[in-house]
Amino acid sequence: MAKEAKRSRKNPGLTGYVLRPMYATLKETIRATLHRPNTVLYPWEKVELPENYRGRPGLVMERCIGCGICMRICPTGCIELVEIEDKDHGKMRKPQVNLGRCMMCGYCAEYCPKKAMIVTPEYELAASSRQDLIYDPYELQHKYKPGYEVHIVEVLPSELKRGAVEREPGREGKDRPELDDKKCIGCARCAKICPTGAAEMGQVGVNEKGKPIKRPKFDYSKCVGCEQCVENCPRDALTMKEVL
Amino acid sequence: MDLYQFTEGIVSWLVGIVNWILNWVGFHGLAGWLGSPDIIKFLTLLGESIVLLAIGFIVAITMIWQERKTLGRLMDRRGAMVVGPAGYFQNIADGLKTLLKEYIIPEKADKTAYNWAPVIMIGSSILLLVAIPLSGRFYMSDLNAGLLFIFAVFSITPFAILMGGWASNNKYSLIGGMRSAAQLISYEIPLLLSMVGVVLLSGSLNIGDIVNAQAESTWFIIPQLIGFIIFMVAIVAEVERIPFDLPEAEAELVEGWWTEYGGMRFGLLMLAEYFRGYAGAAVAVLLFLGGWSGPFLPPEIWFLIKVFIVFFILIWLRGSLMRVRVDQILNIGWKRLLPLAMVNLVIAVVFKTLGWF
Repeated sequence: MAKEAKRSRKNPGLTGYVLRPMYATLKETIRATLHRPNTVLYPWEKVELPENYRGRPGLVMERCIGCGICMRICPTGCIELVEIEDKDHGKMRKPQVNLGRCMMCGYCAEYCPKKAMIVTPEYELAASSRQDLIYDPYELQHKYKPGYEVHIVEVLPSELKRGAVEREPGREGKDRPELDDKKCIGCARCAKICPTGAAEMGQVGVNEKGKPIKRPKFDYSKCVGCEQCVENCPRDALTMKEVL
Repeated sequence: MDLYQFTEGIVSWLVGIVNWILNWVGFHGLAGWLGSPDIIKFLTLLGESIVLLAIGFIVAITMIWQERKTLGRLMDRRGAMVVGPAGYFQNIADGLKTLLKEYIIPEKADKTAYNWAPVIMIGSSILLLVAIPLSGRFYMSDLNAGLLFIFAVFSITPFAILMGGWASNNKYSLIGGMRSAAQLISYEIPLLLSMVGVVLLSGSLNIGDIVNAQAESTWFIIPQLIGFIIFMVAIVAEVERIPFDLPEAEAELVEGWWTEYGGMRFGLLMLAEYFRGYAGAAVAVLLFLGGWSGPFLPPEIWFLIKVFIVFFILIWLRGSLMRVRVDQILNIGWKRLLPLAMVNLVIAVVFKTLGWF
């Protein structure tokens, strides 16, 4: 008995090498002939996608505020902001995606503060040149359907202490810009660049010549933490303060 | 009415029309020459060989289609299915594709040998069809030693493979050619010995006589079951299909001995492979499965049905077995098949001595 077991493991012999494979394939042939083979006839029929399938990223144009968080979070650096003519707001910067680089991770949709970036179930992305793979904001547009947006599952330590499992949408718990008063020259670039209008210039006093001193005031309920004001500050007066 | 008379009738009718035109134009001498019996015989043989080649071509194309579909089912997928009904014309599309490919000769190849190796391979494969009758009335030549002729022609191909493998000046093709020669000495002797039993029982090397002997008594697969199994194993090695496709082992050598052959040569070599597959299956049918004998249907149809069934076994083996290692094939040939062939021969001798056949 032990000898036979050893034989079957080391050297299957005629049965293991020839007869059993032939029996297995014959069984498979009969099954595939009577029923259908498992193949999906792709160009004619398609695989049914799961509900939360993540294909190429899409853009809901009306919601996008051009904050650039998607560009910042993208791990492959395939998103770039390009200037387009918006019918409501005039010139605006909106994301353009290079699908040749995109790895469909959905981070852009996850971190989008207005849920303007969505994941679409489109997966047939073949193009005849690399240029065709770069989707500008208009090509990137996709009809919104509930379920296309991705909810952020990141939880802050402070929220975790309170017993939350998922970050509550709309709660202010994001990183926020902080002003260093000594460095600020009151140029108001932060107020101009802010996509949500969270930064507003307010008068805080008068200097020795009698001219008004202006300093930005941040409305943290509006702020999405896009860091554009920090980047555009000419004197490095603004820094991001981490909120935990 | 056999194939010769049929073709002769058609040829005489065509020659009659041409002669009428020639006589009308005024070339009476040419018309008389064309109508002479020698010329008619020559044209008849030419027509016969064209018919035979066409039938071999159609059978080979059908076999490729059968292999694609059956292998697909063995692997739980569909074979060719787009071009033509159930993908039947896919092979013709592939043939046209290979026809359009560029004609490349490797720079350092031995040009003469490189060019002649596929000619020998394809020529010998087509020559096989001459000796294989479709029925008692549908044959090209009725050789007295037809079986011997078939196996003699079969054995030319390793020579062509070795030649092509060496001439390509490529390490993979050279190894493939050498393997073919090494394989030859292991399967050829059991193959011929398993055949000897049938020859002994029927008492003839003529294929027609062998088939008639089976029609009188019984199919030789019943007394010669061991011989049939040995024959099937050896014929797989002979036509170089998957358990024994050492000369063109795709996983080890790129494409074996035909690595450097491209374009229509590749296509023709592939077709020659299936000509040989047809010949191998046909010989198995003729020797062991009663040839063209069968009820109701015409004998040619019966023969082709049996050939396709035997070819299905070859496809089945291809779909389920793994490739034999180079050192294992000698062991299989000399240690397993040769003693079994001897046993089979003894069985045949016993049956013959007892007078049962």
